Amino acid sequence: MNAPVYAVENLVIDLYTPSVSVRAVDGASFHVSPGETLAIVGESGSGKTVMTLGPLGLMPEGVAVDLRGTARADGRDILTLSPSELSALRGGFFGVIFQDPMSALNPMLKIGPQLASQAQKYAGLSAEAARKEAVSLLARSGIPDPEDRYDRYPHELSGGMLQRAMIALALAARPRVLIADEPTTALDATVQAQILALIRTIQKEDGIAVVLITHDIGAVSVLADRVIVLYAGQIAEEGTAIQVLTAPVHPYTRGLLASVPDFRSESATGTKEIPGIPPNQAQLMPGCRFADRCDMVQATCHSHRPRLQTVGLGDVPHRVACPVVIAAEGIVTHD
Amino acid sequence: MKNWPWLILTPAIIFVLIGLFAPFLMTHDPTVQDYKAILSPASWSHWLGTDYLGRDMYSRIIGGARTSLVAMVFVLLAALVIGVVIGSFAGYVGGRTELVLISIIDIALALPSLIIALALIGVFSGASWSWMSDYWKMIIALTLAWWANYARMSRAVVVAELQQPYIEAARVMGASHMWIFTKHILPHVLGLVVVYASADAGALVLAIATLSFLGLGVAPPTPEWGQMLVDGMSYIEEFPSLVIIPGLALTAVVVSFNLLGEAFALQKVPKAVRGGLLRRKKATRAAEETARAATEAKV
Repeated sequence: MNAPVYAVENLVIDLYTPSVSVRAVDGASFHVSPGETLAIVGESGSGKTVMTLGPLGLMPEGVAVDLRGTARADGRDILTLSPSELSALRGGFFGVIFQDPMSALNPMLKIGPQLASQAQKYAGLSAEAARKEAVSLLARSGIPDPEDRYDRYPHELSGGMLQRAMIALALAARPRVLIADEPTTALDATVQAQILALIRTIQKEDGIAVVLITHDIGAVSVLADRVIVLYAGQIAEEGTAIQVLTAPVHPYTRGLLASVPDFRSESATGTKEIPGIPPNQAQLMPGCRFADRCDMVQATCHSHRPRLQTVGLGDVPHRVACPVVIAAEGIVTHD
Repeated sequence: MKNWPWLILTPAIIFVLIGLFAPFLMTHDPTVQDYKAILSPASWSHWLGTDYLGRDMYSRIIGGARTSLVAMVFVLLAALVIGVVIGSFAGYVGGRTELVLISIIDIALALPSLIIALALIGVFSGASWSWMSDYWKMIIALTLAWWANYARMSRAVVVAELQQPYIEAARVMGASHMWIFTKHILPHVLGLVVVYASADAGALVLAIATLSFLGLGVAPPTPEWGQMLVDGMSYIEEFPSLVIIPGLALTAVVVSFNLLGEAFALQKVPKAVRGGLLRRKKATRAAEETARAATEAKV
């Protein structure tokens, strides 16, 4: 495994508003290496986006943010960088694809020039070369007739085409890490598959690291090498996609996978929901965050914070934060 | 709107309160002339002294606040209603009607509103309008000079909101035009227009004073700040307080209403916690963290 290009250690993110203090990320670590895809899975509000984009300074407006831990990228701890240094890193070192392509592109500007200016700024190309680069990026992103699309406005393209243009835009600066924040949520099912395939192709060709933020287990199985399951700002389970998706250990991961509808199941009971709602992250409760919804809960779960324990012997550690299941099923740990 | 900006709104609030309770606050009748006490300095009987006719300055300032407040409320409400109705109608109906109405709005906007008001007061000075008092002439003239901005804003909001998918959805569900307009569009229009009006109130108080200063607004002896400025002008060297006091009152109200409008506009933008409050919140969080660590360590 290559050395990671983006490694976050013991990240704690507190968000302060006048009325509440929210612990969005509670001691999470992750890393991603060149050519690797890391999927971060969790339900809405579990902190997946804040954990990934927070260290880059991309935070909601009007919220005071307190970041602790380390986030190494480009040989530096990016949590210590000044806003201008961070700005240079975004767009250059990090490329980001957002959820909604319709609102991520400026509707007043043609698509091509938006790409070209990015290529000009970060790849240091001349105006003429930047135009050529933009056209080739559009072509590479699978947009037919890129010369024509260069002069189109965003409203003239479909959602799928716009997401391709967004990918082209993220690639224009030749990033080392591509962060895809729910890139297929706003798209049709057939287009989703195409976009995922495109991200995979580009990743393999350029050897960039991809962080995929999603709640779509299907997208994870298509794209991801490794998976992190996040629950209420804490990592519940991590490992290779095969380990986590085929042999999940943490009760939350199991519940998450059981709640995915299986089109082959004939009965209406084919999916199971997890009862209850995610905990209030404004309170720092001791113990396991999932304890209140867990069907294997024990008394210690409410007081003892589960440590991530390695349960597999693969090259990539499969780690689970649930001593209860590990003990109950006699799983051997390797720490 | 954290802590200090509320203080800045005090003049506006005081202005409204004084205007409302003026009769109870006045120590003298502001129109009664006392020739034995002409241009007297501040004293226990005349808190801010008297003017060149021996009228109590304090009572005249209070009375002036009421005059301005009443005129301002009438003009603002009338201009707002006229503007919102015409502007929304233009935006909602569209087509040729919109074109005609927009042209009228544009003409009204092209001319400075004070000039329009002056011209209208000129028209109203004709004999056929003599049944109307100067005060109401001023209010009507200002209203007719003031509505265009509200019409322009209302139309813009209506046109923008009509494009939104939820309007289409309402239409699909069989909502009538009246329902769509009152339930879905009017709140947006009023939201913007009321914020603008709160800042506009200051400009209006100034316009009322300007017209009175020029002798075209409130007729003497009704107490009015613009009028008081004119009265005091001749005595500015010996008795500068005659000009300074109404001038300060006017300035405070105008500045305060402008800040009120700004505060309204900024209130929609969430502001990050900063300074001492943030430090306290961080300290609380750190204490919670320690408490949690202690609980978890016990097991």
